[in-house]
Amino acid sequence: MRVATDVGGTFTDLVYYDYDEETGTFGGIKTEKVETTPPNFEQGVMDTMHKAGLAPKSISFFAHGTTVVINALLARKGAKTGLITTKGFRDVLEIARGNRPDLFNFYFTKPKPFVPRYLRKEVDERVNYKGEILTPADLSGLPAIIEAFRDDGVEAIAISFLHAYANPENEIAVLDEVRRLWNDVSLVASHRITREWREYERTSTAVLSAYVHPLANRYLKSLDAKLRSDGFSGTPFIMQSNGGIATLNAAAANPITMVESGPSSGVLGAIELGKLIGVPNMITLDIGGTTAKCALVEDSRARITTDYKIEWTRTNPGYPIKTPVIEIVEIGNGGGSIAWIDEGGKLHVGPQSAGAVPGPAAYGRGGTEPTTTDAHLITGRIDPDYFLGGEIEPDMENLDKVFQALATKLKVSVKEAARGVIRIANANMVNALKLVSINKGYDPREFTLVAFGGGGAMHAVALAEELQVPKVIVPVNSAVFSAWGMLVTDLRRDYIRTKLVRLADVDPAEVGRLFDEMAEAATAEYEADGVDAGRLMFQRYGDMRYQGQEHSVKIEFPDGAVGEKALAEAIKRFHEAHEREYTFRLENPVELVNYHLVVSGRVPKPDLSKLEPTGRDLKDAVRGVRSVDFDENGIHETTIYERGLLEPGMVLKGPCVIEEPAATLLVTPGKRVEIDDYGNIHIIMKS
Amino acid sequence: MSATDTFTLEIIKNALVAVGDEMFVAMQRTSMSPIIYETLDYSCGLTDPEGNLITQGNGTTVFLGQIDSLVREVLKKFGEKGDIHDGDIFISNDPYVGGGTHLSDPALVQPIFFEDELVAFVINKAHWTEVGGKDPGSFTTNATEIFQEGLQLPNIRIFSGGKPNAALIDLIAANVRLPEMSLGDMWAGVAANRVGERRVREIFAKYGVAEVKEAIVSLLDYGEEMIRQEMKNLPKGVFEAEDWIDDDGLGNGPFRIQVKVTITDDEFIADFTGSHAQVPGPINNSRTGLVSAVRTVFKALSNPSVPANGGCFRPMKVICPDGTMFTAKRPAPVSLYWETMMAGADLIWKALAPHIPERLTAGHMLSVCATIITGTHPDTGEFYLMVGPLVGGWGAGATKDGDGGQFASADGETFNIPVEIAETRYGVLVDQYAFHNDDGGFGKFRGGKGVVLDYRILSDTAVMTGSFGRNKFKPWGIGGGGEGSPNYAKVLRADGGEETYTMFHQIPLKKGDVVRLVTATGGGVGDPRERPRDKVRNDLRDGYVTIEQARVHYGYDAKVAAE
Repeated sequence: MRVATDVGGTFTDLVYYDYDEETGTFGGIKTEKVETTPPNFEQGVMDTMHKAGLAPKSISFFAHGTTVVINALLARKGAKTGLITTKGFRDVLEIARGNRPDLFNFYFTKPKPFVPRYLRKEVDERVNYKGEILTPADLSGLPAIIEAFRDDGVEAIAISFLHAYANPENEIAVLDEVRRLWNDVSLVASHRITREWREYERTSTAVLSAYVHPLANRYLKSLDAKLRSDGFSGTPFIMQSNGGIATLNAAAANPITMVESGPSSGVLGAIELGKLIGVPNMITLDIGGTTAKCALVEDSRARITTDYKIEWTRTNPGYPIKTPVIEIVEIGNGGGSIAWIDEGGKLHVGPQSAGAVPGPAAYGRGGTEPTTTDAHLITGRIDPDYFLGGEIEPDMENLDKVFQALATKLKVSVKEAARGVIRIANANMVNALKLVSINKGYDPREFTLVAFGGGGAMHAVALAEELQVPKVIVPVNSAVFSAWGMLVTDLRRDYIRTKLVRLADVDPAEVGRLFDEMAEAATAEYEADGVDAGRLMFQRYGDMRYQGQEHSVKIEFPDGAVGEKALAEAIKRFHEAHEREYTFRLENPVELVNYHLVVSGRVPKPDLSKLEPTGRDLKDAVRGVRSVDFDENGIHETTIYERGLLEPGMVLKGPCVIEEPAATLLVTPGKRVEIDDYGNIHIIMKS
Repeated sequence: MSATDTFTLEIIKNALVAVGDEMFVAMQRTSMSPIIYETLDYSCGLTDPEGNLITQGNGTTVFLGQIDSLVREVLKKFGEKGDIHDGDIFISNDPYVGGGTHLSDPALVQPIFFEDELVAFVINKAHWTEVGGKDPGSFTTNATEIFQEGLQLPNIRIFSGGKPNAALIDLIAANVRLPEMSLGDMWAGVAANRVGERRVREIFAKYGVAEVKEAIVSLLDYGEEMIRQEMKNLPKGVFEAEDWIDDDGLGNGPFRIQVKVTITDDEFIADFTGSHAQVPGPINNSRTGLVSAVRTVFKALSNPSVPANGGCFRPMKVICPDGTMFTAKRPAPVSLYWETMMAGADLIWKALAPHIPERLTAGHMLSVCATIITGTHPDTGEFYLMVGPLVGGWGAGATKDGDGGQFASADGETFNIPVEIAETRYGVLVDQYAFHNDDGGFGKFRGGKGVVLDYRILSDTAVMTGSFGRNKFKPWGIGGGGEGSPNYAKVLRADGGEETYTMFHQIPLKKGDVVRLVTATGGGVGDPRERPRDKVRNDLRDGYVTIEQARVHYGYDAKVAAE
C-alpha cells in the first residue's frame, strides 16, 4: 500500500492505493479526510488511517505533507526563540535590509523581528570572508546566556555568525557547547540550513527554522513513533518546499524546508494532471481552512527559487527564507478565516483563522468569531444537512448569534453581512491570483484555473469570472488533491554552496571536484536514510554572472565530468541565457557564485484510471433542490448534484451545486459543466 | 461608450504598469554597481509620445519628477525637427534642465515605434558609480562649479539604428575611473529599455493601437481621479514651515529655507519663495529636483498606494524663483543635490505632519548620509570604490514608535550592503552594525533608533568622503516629543586619535583606522513622561533606552521601580 497524508490548518487528508512492488501494477485510489488535531497533529494522521481501515504495517511507502510550519509562522504560534550572533551584530535581524518597498508611505512600519532585542545575545568570535578564523568563539559567556534564555522561557535557539557559509567552525563550536549546556533545547545553526552568503537572510532563515523547530519536531517524532508502534517498518517521507520529498530525519533537523510543503505537492499534482489531460498552462488555486495558495505553471513547469519570503507584498518587505521553494503566493484566506472590523469600520477577512479548534461558529465548539465557512452556510452555498459530509450538524443558533453581532456593527442584515464576507474573501484571493499572473505579465485568459483543497471548488468559478479565465478544472478528489500530488513526487534535495570563482582562472577539475564532493555527501545522506544510490539522479546547476554584477543567472551544467569542454559549454549557456533574459551579452569575464546540486530519487507513480460510464441518467445524480444566494448573480432555486454519481460524458448547466463529502462546487448561472474521462470536472466559463 | 470592454482595459493597464517593474528588475539584475543593484538608486519608466508618465518603477523616491520631463527635453531638442528614429537612444545628465539631478545620474531615453508610429518612450535614469570629475565616485562635498563634478552628457544621441556610437563610448570610457563599471551600467540601462520596448510592442501587437491608447488615457485619468478623491480628505488652508540646512560642504551656512503650502479643494500649491539663494558648495538643487521633492511628499500625504503616473500630479503646483538653493543655475555645483531636494520635501512634511497625523511621522534622519570609501583591496590589489547611503531612525507617529534602521525618505526600495558582501568586495572589516543610544527621540511615542556602523580599514591606505546633513539641526519632534539625535561620522585612529565629521572630503585613512558612521535617531511624538511605564520598562529590557535616559527624560527611576 502506498499512502500520502496531508495535514492542513483545518483538515488532515489521506490518499492511498495498492501497488504491487513485483508486477508494478496499481489498484484504485481511495481517500479519507478528518479534522486536524492541534496541538497533536500526528493524531489526525492516525485518525485518517483508522477511519480508512488502513493498517500501518501494510504500508510500503508513506509520504507526508504539512502546513504546520507555515501556519505557525503566519499565526505567530511558534516557540519563544533566542538568537546568538557575532559580537556587534545582534541588531542585523532588526535592521534587516532597511528597505521600504512602500516608497511613498511616510507612515511605514517595518516588520517586527521574530526575536526581540533582549533575547538577541552576542558571542565574541570572527571569521573573515575567506573563511579564516580571526577570533575563535569565546564560549565563556554561554552559560550566562543559556541561563538568561531559560529564565525568559526560551524554547528554541538560533545561531548565526558572519561568514559561517564559508567556514562554519565557530558556529559548530557554539552549537556543541550550547548542546552540552542544554541538551534538549531546539537548536539551529545557520550553516546547517543554507550555505549562501548575506547575513540578514541567513540569520532570518535560521531564526524562523528555530522558531518552528520545537513544534515540528514534537510533531514529526511522535508521528514516527505512532506509525512504528502500529507496525510501519519503512522510512516516512516528508514533502518539501522544493517540490520533492525528504526523509523524516532530514526534515526534522531543518524544519523550515517544510515551509511550503503542502502547497508544493498540490502544484506538482496539478502538473502531473495537466500532462495527463493535455493542459500545460495553468494557475493553481488551493484553498484550505487557513490559507489560499496560488502558483503559475507554464509548459508543465513551476519555478523554484531561494529568494523566498513569507508575508512579502508590494508594500511589505516580508521575512526571507533561503530554502528552495516552488514559487507560490499564499494569503491568509481560507474557509476558517475570521471576519473582523477595523477601527475605521472596514470589514476584513483573515489572516487569523478559527482553524479546527474552535473552528467556525457553526461547529458549535465555542467559536465566537464569524468565518468564511459560516457565510457560505448563511447564503445556502453549503448544505446544512451535508456539512462536512453530514458528519457535523451545524450549530445554526450560534452561527446566527455570531453573525448578528457582525451585522449589527456593519449596520446591515445578516444575509448582507455574509455576502460581504464572501466578497472580501474573493477580492483577497483575486489579488493573490493576479500576483502570480497579471503582475508578472501573464494574461489569465491564456490559462486554466485548477482549483482544489476543501474550499477551491467553492470559490473557483467566481474568481475565474473576475479574472476571465476561460476554464476551471476541479480535479477528482479535489479536497485531498495535494495529498495525491505527493504520490507522484520524486525524492529531491537541493544543495547550494556559495563559493566565488572566476571561471577564466579556474581549473575545470576544481569545479567538478566540489560538485563531486557535494554529490558524495548527498549520496551518503540518502543512503543513511535507506535510499539506494542506484535510484539517484544528479543535476548540476551554476549561478553565474558577469564579473562585477551582483545577481546571477541559473544554468544547468552538461552531463558528465566537468572538464574544459563542459565548462566552456556551461559558459556558453550562461551567455545565451543572459541574452535571452536581458537582451545583451558582454565580453566581461564570467564568475560562478553558487554551486547548486539537485539530487532526486525516482519513485513509481500511479496513473489516474479512467472511469467507465454506466449510462446513468443525470437525474439520478440529483440530491435535491435548494435556494442558493449567488450574490450579484441573484438568488436561485438550484439543483444539487452528488459528485460521486456524475460520470464521463455528462453535461450540466449553471446555476448548480455539485457536492462531495469534503467540498462543494458552486457553479454560477450560464456556465457549462462537463465531466472528462477521469471524472475531473471542467467548467467552461463562456458557453 | 468605450470601444473596449473594461476588463480588457484593466488588463492592458496592468500590463503597462508591469513594464516599469520588469525594466526595473532587468536593470537591477544586470548592473555592475552596488549603488544600482543594492541601493536601487535608479528608476525606469514609460511615457506616451507626448511625455506623459504612464508608469515608473522606482527604487528611490528622488526620480519621481524626472522620467517624464526627460522625454519632454528630447522632444524639444529632436522631436520638433523630426529627428527621432527607431533604434535611437538619447543620453543626458544635464542637471539644469528637465530630468536633471546631478551628473552621476545619466538617463537613457529610447523611442518605441509600432507600425512606423511613435507610440511610447522607455526611459531609465540611474546613479552610475563613476562619471569622472575631480574625485573618485564623482559626487563630492567641495566642488565649486559643475566642471569638477564629472563628464557632462547634454542630451545627445548615443545609439542610432540600434548601434552604439563608438566614438562617444570611447570618450566616456576615457573620462571615467572605472570604465568597465560605468559602461556596464550603461548596458544595464540599455537592457532595461530593450526589455521595456519588447514588452510594449507585444502589448500593442496583442491589443491593437487604439485599445492601448484608450487604456493609457484611462490610466492617467484614474490617477488624477484617485488623487482628487484623496484631496477631499486633506486639510484645507495655508500651512507654513521653515528650517535650516547645516552646511554647503565648503563650511558656509546654515541656510534658511521656507515653504508656504496652500491646499484648496482642487489644488496643492507649494511656494518656496524666500528660501536662501544658491550657494558656493555642491549642495544646490535644480528645479526638476524640486518638482520631484514636492511630488514625493504630495504622494505620501495624499495616496501612497496609487501607482505613480502623470495624472496623479495634475493638481500640484510648485512656485519658486530662479537662483535659490532649490533652483540653482549653471554652473553651480549640484553633486549633493539630494540634501537640499529632500529638505524641500521635509519642509512640506513638517508643515503638514500635525494636520495629517495618520500619513506623516515626526522628522527623520533626512540626510541619506552618503559615504564614499576608496582604496586598494588588500587581497586582490584591485582599486575599490564603496559608495552607499546609510540606514537610520524615522520619526514616531501619532500611534506608534518610529522605525529604527531604515533608509531615508530619499531612498526607498533600497537595500543595505550586506556585511559579508562588503567585506568580500572591499576588503574592509566591519566591527559592528547596531543601534546606538545617543540622546534623542524621546516621547510618548519614541523616535526610531539610529545606527552605528564601523568599518576597519585593512588596506595600507584609503580615503573617505561623505555628506551628513541634519547634524546642527536635528530631526524635529511633534507635540512635546523630543528632537532626534544628529548624523555624524568619526575616525578612530589606530594611534588613538579621534576626529568627528559631518561634511567631509578625501579624508586620508591608514590601516587599522576605524571609520564610525552614526545616523540620527528620529524625532518623538508627545511628552515622554506620558509614555506608559510598561513600555519604558520594555525599552530598558531591550536596551533601547539607558537607565540614565529613562530617569532624566521619561521620569522613570529603574532603581526605585525594582524595589
